[in-house]
Amino acid sequence: MTSFNVIRWIVWKDFVTELRSRETISSMVFFALIVILIFSFSFSMDQQAAREVIAGIMWVAFAFTGIIGLGKSFSTELQNDCLEALQMVPEAKGAIYLGKVAANFAFMFVVEILLFPMFVILFNLEVVEEISLLLLVFFLATVGLSAIGTLFSALTVQIRAREVMLPILLLPLVVPVMIAAVEATKGTLNGDPLAMYEQWLELLVIYDVVFTVVSFWMFEFVMDS
Amino acid sequence: MTIHRVIRKVQRFEGWFGGGAVLCLIAGLYLGLIGSPPDYYQGEVVRIMYIHVPLAHTSLLGYTVLAVGSLWYLWKRDPIVDNMCQAVAALSAVFTALALGTGMIWGKPTWDTWWTWDARLTSFTVLLLILIGYLMLRTFVDDPEKEARYGAILAIVGFVDLPIIHFSVEWWRTLHQPQSISMRGVSISSGLLVPLLFMSVGMSLLFSYMLMVRTQLLYLDRLLHAKKGRLLSQFHLSKSDS
Repeated sequence: MTSFNVIRWIVWKDFVTELRSRETISSMVFFALIVILIFSFSFSMDQQAAREVIAGIMWVAFAFTGIIGLGKSFSTELQNDCLEALQMVPEAKGAIYLGKVAANFAFMFVVEILLFPMFVILFNLEVVEEISLLLLVFFLATVGLSAIGTLFSALTVQIRAREVMLPILLLPLVVPVMIAAVEATKGTLNGDPLAMYEQWLELLVIYDVVFTVVSFWMFEFVMDS
Repeated sequence: MTIHRVIRKVQRFEGWFGGGAVLCLIAGLYLGLIGSPPDYYQGEVVRIMYIHVPLAHTSLLGYTVLAVGSLWYLWKRDPIVDNMCQAVAALSAVFTALALGTGMIWGKPTWDTWWTWDARLTSFTVLLLILIGYLMLRTFVDDPEKEARYGAILAIVGFVDLPIIHFSVEWWRTLHQPQSISMRGVSISSGLLVPLLFMSVGMSLLFSYMLMVRTQLLYLDRLLHAKKGRLLSQFHLSKSDS
């Protein structure tokens, strides 16, 4: 098997498990709905106020649901010692990492796409014209979250209190993604000219590149045993 | 095992570090609290700078040592380097917390608020969170080798992240409100600089001294545990013989 095949098989495996159990995506979506509901209870918002805070609420919901998906990504591998089987794959460990990143990215991105219309309806947002730009923001931020999140999902899966430790370790490290995603989303939703939030997109690209490389490299050390 | 010898050799000068720290800190405190004039704008309040700035510098220095040590550990897998990493992380966390605390005390009279989402303040808070996460992670891993490896990975990822966090927070703040305080354009006179220099050197020496003592302590603790394990297994073996 070449490394590319390893990536493909891991993505395929995660997709098939998800199609059969429908555990991850459905729990992510319902959790996000509850988060949205609680936020709308906590602030009584008119449309003007909603436009100010909606990007923040959106990314809090996405980050929390993302953590649910990321946590499941490796904890399901504990059953039947699948993790050990993965560690025995003769190809480079980086291939497993990339496969898992791709699967996690796909789950998170799908959930975000499913949730966005809910935000539009529940918070009476005006329908955005530049939907492709918004998708670009979602794409870049989700790549960053899944690149570093997959590393920490693999790292926390073999320790005690893993459900607590994943967010505790991950959230401080994704502060730049959260700031950049919120600012860029706010810009697109308000219909600002691209030049006003361009720097946030650049920051997201830099973060994605840096942390895909660093996590790819560090993943070797997580898996070796 | 060269690093062992290097650490042993440096450890022999432990007392010099401690003594140097005491001398520098006494000199710095004297010059800072008594010898230097009060600030034109801030008055006597400015004197907390002589504690705050060296604390902040030293904690950043400590995190750099942690990252280098972690890289070294992943490369050579030398357990004493891991003891050093654990020691430096705990000390950096303490120094970062103290820097934040003194910063808040300084902020109250000068900015009239304990807390503001200033760029440096925010990135130091994130730094503290990463360090506490590091220390927590270490307590949750049972196998010592795994504990060291996972800690090293977190430290390296965090070290790469820190400049990005700093820049993103800085951009974020400058977009929302004008910076609350700017050091640019303010030239520090030599009356302030000399005590600051003494305090910085003294604080780094103090940090190094504490680091050496703590590393040694953790190293001996590990040896003790290994010995205890050996003795216990011998005891059980001799019992099963008879």
